[in-house]
Amino acid sequence: MSSAIHYLQALANLAAHDRPPLRPADLSRSALLAQYHPDNAGNASTLLQIGPSRGQPCHPRLAALLQSNALIDGFDLAGAEQRSTDVLVIGGGGAGAAAALTAARSGAEVMLASKLRLGDSNTVMAEGGIQAALAASDSPQQHFDDAMRGGHDAANPQLLAQMASDAPGVIRWLIELGMHFDLDEPLEDGGKLRYKQAGGCSQPRILCYRDYTGLEMMRVLRETVELDPAITLLNRCPVVELLSHEDGSCAGAVLYDLEYQRFIVVSARQTILATGGCGRLHLQGFPSSNHYGATADGLVLAYRIGTGLRDMDAFQYHPTGVAWPQRLRGGLISEAARSGGALLVNGLGERFVEELAPRDVVTAAILRECAAGRGIERDGQLGVFLDTRPLGANLASRLPALQHLADKCGIDPCSEPMLIYPTLHYQNGGVIIDGNGQTSVPGLLCAGEITGGIHGRNRLMGNALLDILAFGRRAGRQAARLAQAARHKSTLPPQRGGIEHVYRWQRQLALAGLDSSLQAPLLYPGQARLALHRPTSPHA
Amino acid sequence: MSETIHISIDGKVVDAEPGNSILHTRLQGEEALTANIGCMGQGVCGSCRCLVRKAGERSAETRLACETVVEDGMQVSFIDYYLPEHLHRYRPHDLRDGWQALPQLQQTFPEISQCRHCSGCDRACPRHIPVQQGIALANSGQLQAAAALFDPCIMCNLCTLACPENIRPNHVGLYLRRAQAIQNLRPGDLLRRLEQQARGEMAINTQTDNTRSEV
Repeated sequence: MSSAIHYLQALANLAAHDRPPLRPADLSRSALLAQYHPDNAGNASTLLQIGPSRGQPCHPRLAALLQSNALIDGFDLAGAEQRSTDVLVIGGGGAGAAAALTAARSGAEVMLASKLRLGDSNTVMAEGGIQAALAASDSPQQHFDDAMRGGHDAANPQLLAQMASDAPGVIRWLIELGMHFDLDEPLEDGGKLRYKQAGGCSQPRILCYRDYTGLEMMRVLRETVELDPAITLLNRCPVVELLSHEDGSCAGAVLYDLEYQRFIVVSARQTILATGGCGRLHLQGFPSSNHYGATADGLVLAYRIGTGLRDMDAFQYHPTGVAWPQRLRGGLISEAARSGGALLVNGLGERFVEELAPRDVVTAAILRECAAGRGIERDGQLGVFLDTRPLGANLASRLPALQHLADKCGIDPCSEPMLIYPTLHYQNGGVIIDGNGQTSVPGLLCAGEITGGIHGRNRLMGNALLDILAFGRRAGRQAARLAQAARHKSTLPPQRGGIEHVYRWQRQLALAGLDSSLQAPLLYPGQARLALHRPTSPHA
Repeated sequence: MSETIHISIDGKVVDAEPGNSILHTRLQGEEALTANIGCMGQGVCGSCRCLVRKAGERSAETRLACETVVEDGMQVSFIDYYLPEHLHRYRPHDLRDGWQALPQLQQTFPEISQCRHCSGCDRACPRHIPVQQGIALANSGQLQAAAALFDPCIMCNLCTLACPENIRPNHVGLYLRRAQAIQNLRPGDLLRRLEQQARGEMAINTQTDNTRSEV
């Protein structure tokens, strides 16, 4: 660890000023990012060697998973339970739920498979809110412009425009399902919505529910899915491989049923991957704010069956993860705190960045302070202060999740600062999709964090909850449409596929001289791997 | 912090580091965890619900493993999650008519009037919601007040497990909250924006002057 200022000294430096002075900026934003953002570290990128996006940059940890061997072989399909459905949705977060509900509403028979349980996802952990340009002074155009700028002009403009245009309809849909939003004046104008400011935005545009927007959203979505008779729910059934037809199109997926320890082959007319991101890979050694299940499973399978990827070297490190105490390291402190007036302060008692600059800029600025020896050290943990005192007395009612977290840290946020350090938060890139969530592989759609192109190379606060619902609904609608068209052609159940694409992939691995003993998807983070095959007994 | 303590998880004694949560202790085991784990400490997903009995105590309490710090001699048993057989099915669409709120509530959750006041739900709740009071309020027709009590609910279903009358209190709470939003929330800003879009206004021009590094 580089040198740092001791916690007690830093507290004294903080107390020396009524309002911390702003340290003069001596680096441009682009220079700051180039020198200090984790994406730009020398070891943060390599080139993919095989697959549709070979030659493109990708984080090495992720590249190893993308260029690995399958978990199963042909004999695993023999004797497996056979099921079929119009639309198979893989992933139980917000995107999966939105896709399943919309496909069911469009008349399709839907199966939703989830690795853990429906709702166990990053969606339920989202705190800050969801962007929608509703105010009279605002417009979808400004929403689009802000997100385009925030993503360094790398976003696919068509996808981003769709997302911004879909936002009002998404909010209406959520209210129709029974989700609440914070109101400034409950009795005025049918409920006057509260707008919060997000980093990198030209005006306040964030709708929220306290600071557990994701919980409020996911509990409503989960209940709706569970009560929908057209959706069959398969909890604790991780997907281990996709299925393909001879023409290369997707034919469904192979699941592993943890309850009965056996494989299930699901033949589907259309398959939607909504498996989220990869925070639990702890890229660049960073802690993560992500859910236990964020292990890039869908990304690995989509790449193996032939979809293109983009921006696989662009990740979001959220500026404010908990740095002390160590056992809570990586836990998220929502941007809502800075939106409400909390300040970032270094060990010298100085502010050093505009708190509501785009997230990547704020993160790079924090890492720079730590690298320059102006960070703060407490019990061996390095970080800078998030001074929550400006939030005032209504912190507990406005930001109950922050209060709850501070209680767990043993900190009173109204009188003392919290120690924070960036935490791996979001995968900006992912599978290339069109406006309906379709990939280049027929029969396979993607929605949510697994996709790339919507946010460019840096997402703004509040655009993830919007993205998963806007594109979850689009993918669900499109999958139902395509499945029904296929059903009109033939009343037979969907044809069973195989894993020919896996054999092709194995040949590519061999030709490239890559190690085929590595297997993915990872399914569960951590040291211990789940054994999908029972060891053959010594008596056999 | 060098001393090691011991707790038992699902019948197996494991070493634990003081100050760690039960969940993080369990994560250091040799088997891949495939259930009862989720948000890793935020306390919002309810998946790591468990029974905890402290050394020397007779009764066990329901807790969230990610928010419970280990103590020497603690016994922990995780509670499986399953989908109950008889779900009270309703559609969001059914909740639109506020005039039908009371008969509809009784129709959807017929057990609600059977509360025995055993307070099992109150004791089970890791968020310390006065669950029993919420059900009593709902029974007496004070639906808004009842709904408000369930605001911080994380849907861990522990009150549902605890209820001898199958009331499923957290689902009653969510039902009431949803009904409120569905019936009452009509933000003017949103109505106007939707109407503008329906008229074909508010289209986005994607052509900006910047050069794009499209990958």
